[in-house]
Amino acid sequence: MATFEYKQAEEVRDAFEKNRCRYLFIGKSGAIHLGFPDTTQDADLFVEKSIRNGESLVTGLEQLGFAMTPEQAADIRGCKVFIQLKNGSFDLDLIFAPDGIEKFEDAWNRRVDVKGFHVCNLDDIIASKIASDRPKDRDSLPRLHSFGEYWRIHNSK
Amino acid sequence: MKITMDEKERPEILSKIPPDWLAEFEAASRRPLEQRMKYAFIKTYRPVMDDASYRSFETMAEYREWCRRELPDWLGYGDI
Repeated sequence: MATFEYKQAEEVRDAFEKNRCRYLFIGKSGAIHLGFPDTTQDADLFVEKSIRNGESLVTGLEQLGFAMTPEQAADIRGCKVFIQLKNGSFDLDLIFAPDGIEKFEDAWNRRVDVKGFHVCNLDDIIASKIASDRPKDRDSLPRLHSFGEYWRIHNSK
Repeated sequence: MKITMDEKERPEILSKIPPDWLAEFEAASRRPLEQRMKYAFIKTYRPVMDDASYRSFETMAEYREWCRRELPDWLGYGDI
């Protein structure tokens, strides 16, 4: 499996834009879009839980080359809460209801757009990591908090 | 997104960030997104996690439980 690259992120952005998929980069992959210098294996997307969005995601993912069975496509249409896709040219995690964020709409209204990529606000990324509370989340939180302060300074008036 | 912040707050906030992290944040801010992503996304084999081409879970609690039960602790997805 190849590493997730900028070109693939662009393909996701463009395919999802074309199909009007509502998504936000979340987790470390979101923080990296905002400038956080760290490493990750995962491209995580917080996706809106709606029938229309589930349908759009299936179309978009098919256009990106993900080879899904009818059952897998039905999971996405049905907005199963967490879906790991490793059946395309890169890995993608779809999260319809991440821990620590109540509503997609709220996160969408707080989002940051970076070169056309829709990205969760750092406060939401941090809230999600706090709620997940796994060792790998706890390890990254002090540095993420510091980056949050740095980011706020660089994005203040 | 622009946030309102008092000028006096900035040095105080920056002084609380460990200097080596601050240097890394500054260096990253000078790199274009494409380059940041090149350095950030890595791929190493994760036992169990990478052994299936597809998984889905009804709830995050179910996913967390699967991680605790199935993945090696050292991957960092469990409780400890």
